[in-house]
Amino acid sequence: MNCSFTEKISSLIDGELSTAEAREVERHLIGCNECQEVRADFLNLRSQLAGFETSLEPAVQNRALKKILSTPRRTPARGFAWGFGTQAAAFATLVIVAAIIGFLIYRSSNTPTNEKHLAVQQTPTPVPAATVQQKQSEPEASPSPNKGDEQTAPRRSPSPAPKKPLVREPKPGEQFAAIPSTPDPVRSADAQTMTALHFEKSETLLVAFRNVRLNEPGTTAEVAYERKRAQQLVLQNMMLRREADAAGDVQVSSLLESLEPILIDISNLPDKPDKDAIRVIRQRVERKNIVPLLRVNSTALARALD
Amino acid sequence: MASEDEEFTMLFQDFYPSLCRFLECLLGGRAPLAQDLAQESFLQLHRTAWGTMPVGEARFWLYRVARNMAINEFRKSHTRYRLFDRVVETMRPRARNPEQEYETQERKTLVLEMLQTLPEDQRTALLLREHEQLSYREIGQVLNVSESKVKVDIFRARASLRERWARVSHVNPVNHVNPV
Repeated sequence: MNCSFTEKISSLIDGELSTAEAREVERHLIGCNECQEVRADFLNLRSQLAGFETSLEPAVQNRALKKILSTPRRTPARGFAWGFGTQAAAFATLVIVAAIIGFLIYRSSNTPTNEKHLAVQQTPTPVPAATVQQKQSEPEASPSPNKGDEQTAPRRSPSPAPKKPLVREPKPGEQFAAIPSTPDPVRSADAQTMTALHFEKSETLLVAFRNVRLNEPGTTAEVAYERKRAQQLVLQNMMLRREADAAGDVQVSSLLESLEPILIDISNLPDKPDKDAIRVIRQRVERKNIVPLLRVNSTALARALD
Repeated sequence: MASEDEEFTMLFQDFYPSLCRFLECLLGGRAPLAQDLAQESFLQLHRTAWGTMPVGEARFWLYRVARNMAINEFRKSHTRYRLFDRVVETMRPRARNPEQEYETQERKTLVLEMLQTLPEDQRTALLLREHEQLSYREIGQVLNVSESKVKVDIFRARASLRERWARVSHVNPVNHVNPV
């Protein structure tokens, strides 16, 4: 079979050529003896194969059918088992992957929260540090920095808490640490909620007081408004401090203790306050760095409640 | 369930003889084995796949399963090699058979045995085309190959059989068949 058309002869007799191709091959067939012979032989083979009859008896066929129909079908069970197994495996894999991802997200979201307890913020004014304990006895005094450092050192120690609160005001330019979170005191959720709200309100008050413009006409009205808010907060501050003391929550108690004199000073401002009096209170607020401490602790309490 | 069984019975009555013939040609004329395999193919269809596919698909499915079973048989019994020996024996020149009534049977046997000399994929493609009148595309679906491979396989099978047929006819004139 040397002619290049012989392969197409096979497709031609099977009816697998397009009309154009079939015409082309048929035109070629007229003039090509070899292809004519090939075509004849292929058709001869076809007749030989088509004439093949199988020796199948009807009784054998019926017996086979009866046997097949009497066999129970197992399509649903088998198909379901395989399908269910595959789906179950896929679902289990998804659950495991989701759990791992969830755990990683949870961990990564918690890490910065813990770091907030060890909050990072620069103190704006170069004022020496003071402890709460010293402040009580000498509210306006500035203790030595060394003493403050000594009191800060054991705050991470597992030893029992000291008798006096250990809230230390940071030195100028130093990172300050929030109140340590361990061991957790036992306090009611209501008290914690109230404390968190109180911290928020106090923070707002102190920020507003810090921003009062002294040389403008509305200063008196602004101060009067802040004084009224401070009067409300003083009572609440006292109540919460006692509650925290009773519950043994040294951290909260210390912060409330350092907040209380500031609130009292604001509450006791005269109707027409002296600019210097306002300035002194502001300086105390800045020196104690009380605003960031309030913010950090209110956030921590709110998260603990969540 | 009853209607499914009725449909299955109809398919079986229509298609079982064709499948037996296909398998018999594939297996070199071993009719009992072909019938067993055809029955086993239908049994598998009824037990595992019936009702999960259209009836038209079931036909292709049966060809595929039956062909796989036949291939397993080849592997088990080395049928190809034994049949090849028989083909050689058949092609050997011999004395004229005086009993003319067996002449047709002789040719049939010769065709079957010559088919066994073809590679399995060419043989299956040719049988599906010549016996079952499947198109190249349908054969490709059954065998899970491309349409162009089917075309080439069928052409090569025909060319190979034509060559062998010419050789046998030249050696043994009793086997010569005039073209239609």
